[in-house]
Amino acid sequence: MMSTLKKYINSYTDSSPLVIFRIGFGLMMFFSILRFWSKGWIDKIYVKPSFHFTYYGFEWIEQLGEYTYILFLICAISAFFITIGLKYRISIIIFFLSFTYIELLEKTIYLNHYYFICVLSFLLIFIPLNSSFSIDNILSKHRSTKVPRWTIDSIKLLLCIVYIYAGLAKINSDWLLEALPLKIWLPSKYDLPIIGDTLMQKNWVHYAMSWGGMIYDLSIPFLLINKKTRNFGFFMVVFFHVFTRILFPIGVFPYIMIMSATIFFDSKVHDRIILALKNVSKIKFKDYKIKDRNSLNNKFSIIILSLFFILQLTIPLRNLAYSGNLMWHEQGYRFSWRVMLMEKIGYTTFKILNKDNGQSFIVDNDEFLTSYQKKQMNFQPDFILEYAHYLGRHFKNKGLKNIEVYADSYVSLNGRKSQRFINPNINLLAETESFANKNWILPLKNE
Amino acid sequence: MIKKIITIFSIAVLLYSCGSESGNNNNYDDGFNRSELLANLTDNIIIPSYNNFQQELINLEQSAINFTNNTDQDNLESLRSSWLDAYMAWQHIEMFDIAKAEEIDFRRKMNAYPCNTIRIDINISSENYDLNNSNHYSAQGFPALDYLLNGLTDPIILFSGNDGQNYINYLNSLVQYMLLNTNEIINEWNNNRDLFINSTENTASSSLNKLTNDFIFYYEKGFRANKIGIPAGVFSGSPLPENVEAYYHNLNNNTTSKNLALEAFVCIQKFFVGQYFDNSSEGTGISDYLNHLNAQEQGNNLSDLIISTFDEAELAITELDQDLMSQINTNNYDMLVTYDKIQAAVPLLKIDMLVYLSIDVDYIDADGD
Repeated sequence: MMSTLKKYINSYTDSSPLVIFRIGFGLMMFFSILRFWSKGWIDKIYVKPSFHFTYYGFEWIEQLGEYTYILFLICAISAFFITIGLKYRISIIIFFLSFTYIELLEKTIYLNHYYFICVLSFLLIFIPLNSSFSIDNILSKHRSTKVPRWTIDSIKLLLCIVYIYAGLAKINSDWLLEALPLKIWLPSKYDLPIIGDTLMQKNWVHYAMSWGGMIYDLSIPFLLINKKTRNFGFFMVVFFHVFTRILFPIGVFPYIMIMSATIFFDSKVHDRIILALKNVSKIKFKDYKIKDRNSLNNKFSIIILSLFFILQLTIPLRNLAYSGNLMWHEQGYRFSWRVMLMEKIGYTTFKILNKDNGQSFIVDNDEFLTSYQKKQMNFQPDFILEYAHYLGRHFKNKGLKNIEVYADSYVSLNGRKSQRFINPNINLLAETESFANKNWILPLKNE
Repeated sequence: MIKKIITIFSIAVLLYSCGSESGNNNNYDDGFNRSELLANLTDNIIIPSYNNFQQELINLEQSAINFTNNTDQDNLESLRSSWLDAYMAWQHIEMFDIAKAEEIDFRRKMNAYPCNTIRIDINISSENYDLNNSNHYSAQGFPALDYLLNGLTDPIILFSGNDGQNYINYLNSLVQYMLLNTNEIINEWNNNRDLFINSTENTASSSLNKLTNDFIFYYEKGFRANKIGIPAGVFSGSPLPENVEAYYHNLNNNTTSKNLALEAFVCIQKFFVGQYFDNSSEGTGISDYLNHLNAQEQGNNLSDLIISTFDEAELAITELDQDLMSQINTNNYDMLVTYDKIQAAVPLLKIDMLVYLSIDVDYIDADGD
């Protein structure tokens, strides 16, 4: 057992898949940052709002205001450096830190695929994507055509974890038995050409796509790992992600997943692409001394990455510690590859009760939140709590010393009739954020 | 196992790619005619309401001219009554804050209350103001006219006194600006009517989505908050009776604020079910669209639920004191209860209805979590 493990750790494989991965990853990150910038979202999401929702444990994150642009610039430049393989190690560390910092600035725009980028870029710190076909080769005058097998395998493992957990999350009664939320979403795509007014309206299509999506997520890793089915698997990856791109506003995520899946192909395929790139770019790589073994600190990396993967395997399971419907209370919902699982919409207002004179009033959320913040706050308990505390601070600063904050909250999950979400008799100022069960969330009725 | 999966996928791919009808023609076909809905709302509600409003404004303008030519009590009375007629007609169109109206900030120019009397007084004496400037929104429209016609202690003396010409000028410039903006909006409706009713795609900017969002926004803000909630002190802790709509007229007449609120509520209900402006018939409304989308909620039909919630709220308003200000001053509790009954429809509109309409209002990436 130990010897096979040792053997595995010391086994080597061609580095060319990492080259393609590096170029693809770098370019995509570079262009998605430019895209985000060009849409004016930096201003809209990070600069304009006076209040930001933060992650539990990361409330200390400093808002940067106008300087957020500089952070994006740093992030974009590091992505470009990664693409060309210039000062790779330091570039990927800077990319990981700057990208993660950006994500920590505002919880409102949490998306699984942004989290995926954070996780992946952390992993890539330990993987020598600059082994060959990189500027670093020219600078250091050596390159490695072989890299430890585990480097490529760990990227594959991460992708498999994402797909498998995404698939497992789809095994729930709403998704499989009711075809929800697809049954709600797809008919609203009536304006798509050809399929909009036909297939998108069919009940059996909603079921087929729900079941298909679940089977797809669970089987893709095996289709890609198995050499015989790899081409078909890759075709399915392309088809599935392009299709979801057409249906839903999920940005660049589909392309990132398609690009990432290329890591599963043999080095021969990658060699051909690199050759083509060499011909097009006319970059001449002199015959540098070929170092067979990459010089990275194997042992240290392996320990860190083992811990990393243990965390990746356990974090998505933490929801098991909470009872009730996960999609309703969302405790342990994030960071666990639960994608497109629910149509949730809410409406939450807050009552400020002045204990000194018994008077109360309702807060106009538009005064404090942007419309997107409001939309997210409306149905997520941790947002509701954080905002209630913000309101408490705000009105205490205004001289109302002795106040209580109550939420009047209604939420609809996957087309169920809206029902009360937060216990209206609980003063939220007396509650604090923690991993403990939030007993002020009312249970979902009629389950 | 893998072979099976491949087979399933191949079939799925085949089905998707050929996009053929498989003869499974059940009632899940959307098949709803959104253009017909939009055409009904446009041709039988929005445009007739605007035309009616325009006519009332023309009457108001004529009354203002008469009052200018002959500043006496009779003409003042008829000017007041034209103003009130126009204000009632306004309740029919305030919710259509869309296209040109939205672009020129029509709603805020017409009905931002309470008005800013200090600014109005300054504008009258300086005669130097730009009604297009948002600082002057609360010094124009119906609330400012309310102050001029009903809020001044002795209007005849003021309008015919030393500064009389300044008062006359301000009155006429307000009325003409209201008419000018209204004409502009009506022109646009007439020119772009076809474009509007054919914009049936599901995007944040398509006609139906904008209309629906505006409708909800109006119910929540223009109606619920402005007419009832704010005066009752829902958002401030203590009541603000002077913030009722048509405050000055209400001081003399007592019933104005309540009548305006009831008129507005009737318009809300008519729009929801698609009833014609002239009440001659009922066409396709949002309620029909909801029914079509099979919005069954625990055995209750969502449209019916919304309609019955509206009915209860309307009844509550009706049962309030005829004078909202005295209601607030004597028994604000009933006012707050009424507010809650109006509020009860908000989750139904903002949550349940929007879920079924699946209106796409997202403006940044989302993966549905």
